[in-house]
Parts: sequence; C-alpha cells; structure tokens
Amino acid sequence: MNTEEISRIDQIIDKYEGEEGVLIQLLLDIQQELNWIPKEVAERISQRLNIPQSQIYRVVSFYTAMSLTPRGRHLVSVCMGTACHIRGSPRLLDRITDILKIQPGETSPDRRFTLNTVNCLGCCALGPVMVVDGKYHGKLAPAEAEEVLKNYD
Amino acid sequence: MVNLTIDGKTVTAEEGTYILQVARANSIDIPTLCYHPALEPFGACRLCTVEITSRGRKRLVTSCNYPVEEGLEVSTNSEAVIKGRRMILELLLARCPNVPLIQELAKSYGIKKPRFKLEDDNCILCGLCARICEERMGVSAISFSGRGLERKIDTPFHVHSEICQGCGACAFVCPTGAIKLEDITDKEPRPILSEFNVGLSPRSAIYVPFPQAVPKVPVIDREVCIHFLTGNCRICENFCQAGAINYDQEDEIIEAEVDAIILASGFDLYDPSALEEYGYGKIKNVITAMQYERMISASGPSGGQLQRPSDGKTPKKLAFIQCVGSRDTHHKLYCSSVCCMHATKEAILANEHYPDLKAFIFYTDMRAVGKKFQEYIARAEQEYNVTYIRSRPSKITENPDNGNPIVWYEETTARTRTSMEVDMVVLCQALIPSGSTKDISDMLHLSLNDYQFVDIPDRLFHPVDTEIPGIFACGFCQAPQDIPDSVVQASAAAARAAEFLSKED
Amino acid sequence: MPRINSPAELEELRKAILSKRDPNRPCITLCSGTACHASGSEEVAASIEEEIKKQKLSAEVDFRKTGCHGFCERGPIVVIHPEKICYLQIEPKDVPEIISQTIKGKKVIERLLYTEPTTNKKIVHEFEIPFYKNQERLVFGSNGKIDPKSIDDYLALGGYSALAKVLSQMTPEQVLEEVKKSNLRGRGGGGFPVGRKWEECRNAPGEIKYVIVNADEGDPGAYMDRSLLEGNPHSVLEGLIIGAYAIGSHEGYIYVRQEYPLAVENVHIAIKQAQEYGFLGKNIFGSGFDFTVKVHRGAGAFVSGESSALMTALEGRVGEPRPKYIHTVIKGVWDRPSNLNNVETWATVPLIINKGADWFRGIGTEGSKGTKIFSLVGKVNNTGLVEVPMGMTLREIIFNIGGGIRDGKKFKAVQTGGPSGGVIPEKYIDLPIDFDELTKAGSMMGSGGMIVMDEDTCMVDTARYFLNFLADESCGKCIPCREGIKQMLDILTDITEGRGEKGDIELLEEVAAMVKDFSLCALGTTAPNPVLSTLKYFQDEYVAHIEQKRCPAYVCKELVSYYIDPEKCQACMICLRQCPVGAISGGKNQIHVIDQTKCTKCNTCFEVCPPRFSAVRRLSGEPVPPPVKDRVLVRRKG
Repeated sequence: MNTEEISRIDQIIDKYEGEEGVLIQLLLDIQQELNWIPKEVAERISQRLNIPQSQIYRVVSFYTAMSLTPRGRHLVSVCMGTACHIRGSPRLLDRITDILKIQPGETSPDRRFTLNTVNCLGCCALGPVMVVDGKYHGKLAPAEAEEVLKNYD
Repeated sequence: MVNLTIDGKTVTAEEGTYILQVARANSIDIPTLCYHPALEPFGACRLCTVEITSRGRKRLVTSCNYPVEEGLEVSTNSEAVIKGRRMILELLLARCPNVPLIQELAKSYGIKKPRFKLEDDNCILCGLCARICEERMGVSAISFSGRGLERKIDTPFHVHSEICQGCGACAFVCPTGAIKLEDITDKEPRPILSEFNVGLSPRSAIYVPFPQAVPKVPVIDREVCIHFLTGNCRICENFCQAGAINYDQEDEIIEAEVDAIILASGFDLYDPSALEEYGYGKIKNVITAMQYERMISASGPSGGQLQRPSDGKTPKKLAFIQCVGSRDTHHKLYCSSVCCMHATKEAILANEHYPDLKAFIFYTDMRAVGKKFQEYIARAEQEYNVTYIRSRPSKITENPDNGNPIVWYEETTARTRTSMEVDMVVLCQALIPSGSTKDISDMLHLSLNDYQFVDIPDRLFHPVDTEIPGIFACGFCQAPQDIPDSVVQASAAAARAAEFLSKED
Repeated sequence: MPRINSPAELEELRKAILSKRDPNRPCITLCSGTACHASGSEEVAASIEEEIKKQKLSAEVDFRKTGCHGFCERGPIVVIHPEKICYLQIEPKDVPEIISQTIKGKKVIERLLYTEPTTNKKIVHEFEIPFYKNQERLVFGSNGKIDPKSIDDYLALGGYSALAKVLSQMTPEQVLEEVKKSNLRGRGGGGFPVGRKWEECRNAPGEIKYVIVNADEGDPGAYMDRSLLEGNPHSVLEGLIIGAYAIGSHEGYIYVRQEYPLAVENVHIAIKQAQEYGFLGKNIFGSGFDFTVKVHRGAGAFVSGESSALMTALEGRVGEPRPKYIHTVIKGVWDRPSNLNNVETWATVPLIINKGADWFRGIGTEGSKGTKIFSLVGKVNNTGLVEVPMGMTLREIIFNIGGGIRDGKKFKAVQTGGPSGGVIPEKYIDLPIDFDELTKAGSMMGSGGMIVMDEDTCMVDTARYFLNFLADESCGKCIPCREGIKQMLDILTDITEGRGEKGDIELLEEVAAMVKDFSLCALGTTAPNPVLSTLKYFQDEYVAHIEQKRCPAYVCKELVSYYIDPEKCQACMICLRQCPVGAISGGKNQIHVIDQTKCTKCNTCFEVCPPRFSAVRRLSGEPVPPPVKDRVLVRRKG
C-alpha cells in the first residue's frame, strides 16, 4: 500500500478509534474504499486498535460482504431468493457462470467481473433478477444474460 | 448448594457449576470432544448432550454449559441421547475416517462404517487449539476462519504467524494430531530437556525432577514456564484438585546457627564437548555414559531399549571410551575412579539385553580396585562378549552414509594404528566436584586442592576433616570415589561431627 | 429544527406542520421502495420533478417520494392525493400525461388504472383495489403517505404522540402492563410474548441494559422489515424508545443488514432528525429519560441474525450463536441484559400505546393478536407486501389479495417461515394465520415470507434449495448443523440428480431427527423443517425421483429432457434461434431436433415455442425418443 492509501485507511480507523465493538463496521468501510481487505490493512488495524490479527482475519473470512482478494470492476449479483428460485434463477445463474467462466464468489482473472449470489433483493415481482453495479435487470431469461453483460468492460 | 439427580444418583453441587463438571466429580462419565477444564465451555461437538427434566419439561441440552439447578433430573444415557450421539459420531467418522480417536469413539457406539460419503479430514473443528491460544496463552496466533463447511483453523492470511510463541499448547491439546506446529510458525520449538534423562527426553515446565526425588512433588521451572515468562497460562492450577499450586512461592532463606557442618556436595559430569576430537554434540551417535545409563534403564526414556539417537536402531557394536577428560593434561589430571567399573557394568548390561551385541572398551588402565572387581572384569571378557583394547583413541569421525561413528586409535599392545566402525560410542566422561562445592567452600573459607576438590589436610588419620575444625567433608567433593566408599565416608563424617559436638559441650 | 421539550410543544409543532399543509392540495406520491426503484422509479421521479417545473406547477402541486406501497408486482406506483387515484406500472413517458390530464385536467387515465382480472373493470381508487381492500394495513399503511427522509411527514400523521403519552402519563411498569395485556407476540419468527420478554429484561440484575432492533431479515423471499425500515423508520424508532423506557434501558442498537443500503441511509437520517427535535438524547420531552441509539451494519451472514449471534456481532466479534441456557435478556451484549425484537414488533408498539391493548386484542385470534405483514411472492398474480389480521386464512390471502395463481396454473403449496419453515399443501389452505396453527401443520409463521408454489414447483428441489442455503449460511461451529446439513444436502442432491437409492428417505429422516434436537442454535434445529414437511405432504414426489428417476414438476435438470414433438413442430425457427447453446438443428421446412448432448436444460425453447404449436415437450422418467428419420415438415392445415 502506498502512503496515500495508508492515510485513507488511517482516516477511516480514526473514525472508530476509542469505540468498542466496531471491527465489523470498520472493515465494511474499508471494503467499500479498497474493494478488498489486504493483509497490510489488517496489520494496521491490529497495531492501532490492539486487536489480534487472527480476530480480524476471522471476521473477514466469515462475512461475505468482505473479501480477502480484490473484487472485480463490476459486481454481478444474482438473486437466489426463494421466489426467484421458483421462477428459474438457477438456470439463469448456470448461464451466467458459463458466460463469465467463474463460479459465485469468484472474480474473473481479468478482474472484470465478480460474481456472487444474494438472498432476496426484495424485487420478487421482477424475478429472476440480476444486478450489475446496482442496476437491476429483472425478468431476465438465461438467453438474455449475455447481451446485458457484453456492455460492461 | 443445590441437589440434583444424575442417572438416578442424587448429588449436590455448587450453584452455577455445569452438569458435566458435577457428573465428572461424581465419577459419571459423559463423552466430550471439545471440552477442556481450563477453557470456557464451547458447546460445539454436542457429544456431551444429556436429557434433562426441568420444571416438568424434558429437554436435550449440552451438559458442558448448562448450569445446575435445584431439583434437576439428568439422564446421561437415555434412548434419545444415545441415538443422537450415535448419529453425531457416524457423521464425524464420515468426515474423519482415519483418525484413531474418532474410530474408537464411534466403535464404542457400535459404528464401524458410516452410511455417508467419506472425506479424509483429521480436524474435528473442536477449537481447542485456537481457544487455548487465545484464552490461556493470550497470543491468538491461530483462529477459526471461514464458515460452514469452509470453516477451518488457520493463521491470519494463511502465512506463518509472527506472534506464535512456539509453546506447542495447540498441538498438545489437539485430540487428533491435526495441528502441526510447522504449519503455524517457522520458529523451531525448543524442547525443554529433562536434566535427569540427560537431555534424552523432554519434560514439561512443571515436573517431578525424578522418581526418587525428595520431596516427591512437582516443581515449576520458572525459566521456561509460560506463566512466569508471559503472565498467562496457569492451566496446571485448573487441574490440581488439591489446589496446591502456588505461583507466588519464593525461595526461603533460612538462617540457622549450627555448631558443625558436613559438606557432601557431590559431583557433576564433565562436558565432553570440550574434547572436540571425540565429536560429542556433533556426531549424533556419540553419547555420554550418563546418557547410556538412562537409555538402558527400564524406567528411562526408552524403557530400557537401546535406541541410538540418529535412527533409533539397536546397536550391534558398541564402543566405550575411558578417561574422557580424566587423566588428561588438557582437561582433568586426576582419575575419576569409577568409570572403568561402570563401563564394564554397562557393557555387561548391553550384552544381557542384546545377546549378539559386542562391546569394545578402549581403556588406559583398568582401575579395578575393590573387592571382586578384577573377577568382574574377567567375566565381562569371557562371558559377555566384551573386548578390552588398551588404547586412548585419538579421534572419532562419522560415516556419512549411515551415521556410524568411526573410532581411530593405536592399539598399544599390538602397536598398530587402526580404526573401528561401530554403531554407537559411549564416552565415559570425567566426574568433577559439583559447581556448588567451590561456592560453598569460598563461603566457608575452605581451601580447595590443586584438583579443585575440598582439601583434606590429613588424609591418613583424619580422612573427613577439613582444615577448619567443625567442618567435615565426605564423598566426591573431597576425592573421586564410588558409592560404597562415599557411604563409608558419610558415616565417618557423621561420627566425627557427633564427636565434635559432644566435645563442644 | 426547534428542540421539543414537552408533549404540549409537540402538539404545537404538529399543528404548525399541518397548518402549512392543505389537504385538498394535489399531491403526487411515488413509491420509491427498493422494488419500485428496481422497476425504474428514480427515472419516473426525475420525470415528475421535471414536468412539474416545466408546467410551472411547483407552487400548486406537491410531490412526495414515499416508502414501499406493497403492491410490488405493479410498481412503480403513483397515487394522486387527495382523490387517492392509483396508477400502476408508470414509466417516464406517462408522466406528462398524468400532470396535464389528472393534475390539471382532473381526468382519470384509464390505461394506467388497475384492471380487475375477471370483470375487466377499471378501479380508480387505491383502497378499492382488491389487493389493498382485503388488507388491514395498520402498521404498513403509513408507508404510502410519508417521505421517509422527512420527520415532519411522520409528525403530520400523529407520530411520536405515543412516546409523548408514555413519557408524560405512564410509568415504565404501566407501559409494561399494557404491552403484556395486548398479548403482542414477536414478529421475527419466534413468536415469543413481547411483554414477558420485556419484563424479564427489566427484572434482570444490572444497571446498563440494551434494546436492539433486529433488522437482519435474512429469510430469502422476505423483505417486510426492509420496506418498513426504509419507508417508515420513525415508527420503529418510536417503538424502540417506548420499549427502552419500559425496560429501563438507555442505549439501543439497530442492526441492519448491509444488503439494505437504503434502509441504513434512511435510518441514519431518521435518527439525526429525531435527535434534532429532541426525541432522542437527553431528557426526552422533559421527562428526565435519556436514550441514544446506534446503527450497526451486518456483513452478509444469515446466522448473524440469530439473536445471540447478533449480540456477539455487536461486540465486534464474529457473529456466531452462543448457548442460550442463560437467556440473553439476562446476559446479552457485553453480558448485560439485552432485549432484542424484530422491526415489525417495535413498529407495532406505538399503535398499542395510542389505541390501547384492548383494541389490539380485538384483532386476530385467541393465540395470535393483531396484524402481520407478509411478503406474498412466488407464483401469485399480485406479489408484494400485505398486512392482514391474524386469523385470515391462507386461501383468502392467496386468492383474494394475491389474485390467485398466475398463468392459470394450479396451487400446490405455500411455503412459510423461510428456511426454518415448511410447506402447507392445498388440503390445509383454509388454515388461519396463527403462530400455533402454522406450527401444528409442520411449518411456522417465521418472519413473514409466504412463497406460493404451483404445479411447476418441485418439492424435492425446494427442500434441496433450502438446505443449500443453510449449508452456505451455517456458521459451522457445531457438528449436527455443519455435518448433518451437509449430508442431508448430499442425499437430496443425489435424489434430484437421479442417484437416489432405496433407504435415502429413512436416512434423511434419521439425520434430520438428530439435527433437530442436537444443534446449537435455531438455524440448526429448524434446518430439517423444509425436508420433513415436504416429506410429510409430498412423499410421492420423493419416491418418483428415487424409484422412477422422474421429476413430476420437470424442474430437476438431470431428470428432465427436452424433446420437440415432430408431429407438432412447424419449423418456425424461434426456438432454434433462441437456444443459447445452439443445440437445436433444423431449418425452414425441416423439423427441429434438440441435440441432447448439447442441451443445457435452460427451458428457453419450452418457453418460446408458440402456444398454438406447443411442440416442445418435457420428458422425465422416460427415455427420449430417437429423432425421426424423415424431417421434412408437413404443414398442418388450419
């Protein structure tokens, strides 16, 4: 990490210094900022807040919102909620994994896409739903997925 | 205090204790995997589940963390409990089919082959390792990572830990042997070597020095005890049922006015590493006589089996080198007096244990001074395959292919210079007055002779009197001698002291 | 904003707010909940703002972006006040017409209205639409009237009057008694009597106590809490402060899952505004009662919504459940007494205070009082969030409110309680909504997810789906849940992929029994429910999968083959072009044939084959006929 990144991280840690029980909130902010949690960040947090690195690692590896590897430029989320499931989301997901050549939880080698599944976005009326960078694509048939994904580089 | 029944037996317990603790205190067995008396109950294995009836309701709860209450009825082996335990073990066996502990436990519940697809893990995720590291060692070098089926024990970011202190508590407490220290740290753990077994086996920081110790109670070695080094641990305290462990104990300085002193400070072993030519400390299969004694002792670290250090093989050809450091202008000038006989004894013992073992004793002179000592030596040569070679070897090297030591010597009777490859070499090291002899002598203003033994001015008529009246010395601290001689001198010193005291009056 | 220091000042403020609002002034409300957002409500909003400006109506017409209206199937929804004209599925291009015709011209635009499906009648007013008419929207109803980012909207409806009443006229014990008397039961799934829980917390030893809002809402298919928190955060806050007062707590937490960024945002805004008015902080309404609240985001773990796990997460540690033999109301966060309740539970409290426990008890059944919000989703026509009184039957909800099964299919079952619940088949469709009735039938109320399933839903696949979800979300700490769910999932996967064996059902039941009784937390103990309930009511489907390798609903891919009936195929090339893997061969006059080795069973051909041909058939449990030799098309006459 360069000094600029370290100072950004330090600013985020400053926000939480002195409070109890803030590790998860802090890590969420850093994940938002850097798109992943590098080892150096865990070391910095450990130094400044006196939390063992093993506890930080445990938290990051437990929660799906945090990532130990850098996430792709575009986040593709497929809803696997029950309503979407019975409307055919598994088939949609299969098609998407074929197109992107990665499994849910993985990032494509060119760091273009990270694919994950989420449980219920609350748009059950639009199921099955795929969200790319916050944009919702509802009532998506497997055959249409490729067209949508082509637009993202 | 509350009253409760476990399996029909009425017991009392302090309020707030857990069912499992109460059961164990009353010799009722409940199986556990993730429980440890020195750690917070974890409730992960669920094996300790029991059926309770509380306020009229039957429930299944884990006994390791359910607090007892008045009138609680507990059944540790009801049908529901057994059925569930059986299924848990069957599932566990499917995960870890090659772990002996799980195989045994499952077998005791009638399960040999699980009805599920088999994996090949050896970690049961009991968490004992991570918990002991965090809760008792205060280090938190390892922890759980991931969740669900990805859950495992790991170091942060899966790299070697920088904070692991190498105490090995995790590996010690792991019930399946899944924890390997080399996965956690690149530090090599330094075992605490047992002084009594001359470094042949490890001991713990709290230990009974040797079986004949007086008093025979454990002591804590403050130099290596984690508690004294870091302030943590104190697990031994959890286990001592007598509550006898006291970390605050300090050495007591006792002052007493006495009228006579008997010095019997004994001997130490001379470190043969000083004789570099013999390779002690470098060649694995060159050991000292004291180490050999421990090896061949039935109560020693290998139960009396001769297992040479490099590969555990039983030696067929054994060499004893006499006068290692004794009668040597570079080391100790005097003869240590006991080595010729103890070497013979050791060679005889070796042959008694292993009839086709040959021993070679490389001697300068055989000092067989006592009664029947010469006959003993003759018997060794005639009946126990012992060969005496008059020689003081010049060096010992090592055969790199098999670790065999090679003894280089001149056979003085035949006047040939040759070498002999053996399986193991025993160095009969010199014995020296113990380190405390000099310290105490200085304190008492006693002189030491040229050989650093306590000076006895008149050996002929006053063999145990030192130069200071009222101070007597017996045993090795004043001259090399064996056990019978030491005992005689001890009686003499006691008699002289009594005589001296009666005169004082 | 002025600090309100007494109930009297609150009333004055309310009067001032109302005096500035003309109830007869036209107001356009646009549903801006996440679902409508996904349907494009932001673009509609921009369009409305632009159009109002363009037509120079800013001084005469109000525009309010509100929380979720509930009729998510037909979003984006626009309601014109004061007439309450309801327009559905609005797009930006409809906006100019709405402004000129309805706002200025006072004329209703027929094509944007709801059409009653059987009579084809157009319905103008929101409250007459069957979806809404049959509901009792006591807790959720305000969503459509307020902008969640404006506390004044909440105050205009009478907000914070319950809190004022509590702090000035009632003792904590009196509040406790009222809530106990109401028989309110937790809305998060457990259904535990709320008053009793508060009382146990109040009586627990310790000076510092916590109150917690559980907005982790992890059940897939349930989004009531989200819409409530996004759309009316103050109702939750008000209830929380009242509860804190009754229990004796001065610190609260709102745990919101991070997958709900809008809810997090709106809650933060609500807290800030409440603080400015003095409804949070020191000496609220001059009563001497202090209370502060913090927002804590979840990080993507379903299990962290379990109450003891949530409390562990609040401590900054990994959110894994703890043993609860000592209740969390006695030892919770930081080992202090902590009272946790669901979002909907807290939002119900101000109503009970304002209208009284007796009023509340007048609604619902003997064992389950009041109303409940459900997310009615799946194969119904009107998917969305509905609030009904306890005691209404499943049939009424699904058919009268939900509008029946979509696409003319047949009802098969309704799944309630999420991954902890079970399915209820047709023979119990007249079951009343009630905590105990649902549990008796082998399911549970849960947090309110209600997934309607039709003949095209495979029950075995449904059970496998839930187990898969739980296997992902299990924290993995205890053996029964981690290993037990894994093996049950393995068996079910084998069954759905054609490798089922005799004895699988018995083995499933045996594992399920142990997982149910020996797991550490409720995720594990309820994990077998979907399996056990589908086995109970649809065992024939399991048997078909195992013995005949057949999926009656044609869902399990490995057991289904797609086949184009050569007698029916008219070689229209539609399926051929749409097949994403090019598995269909054929031509303009050549019967189409699916290459079984390439087919990925994506169902596209089945869906796109024109209904008048219906040439694509799904086969299961029978071999695929070999392709016909002669593939020249003989066109059908007529």
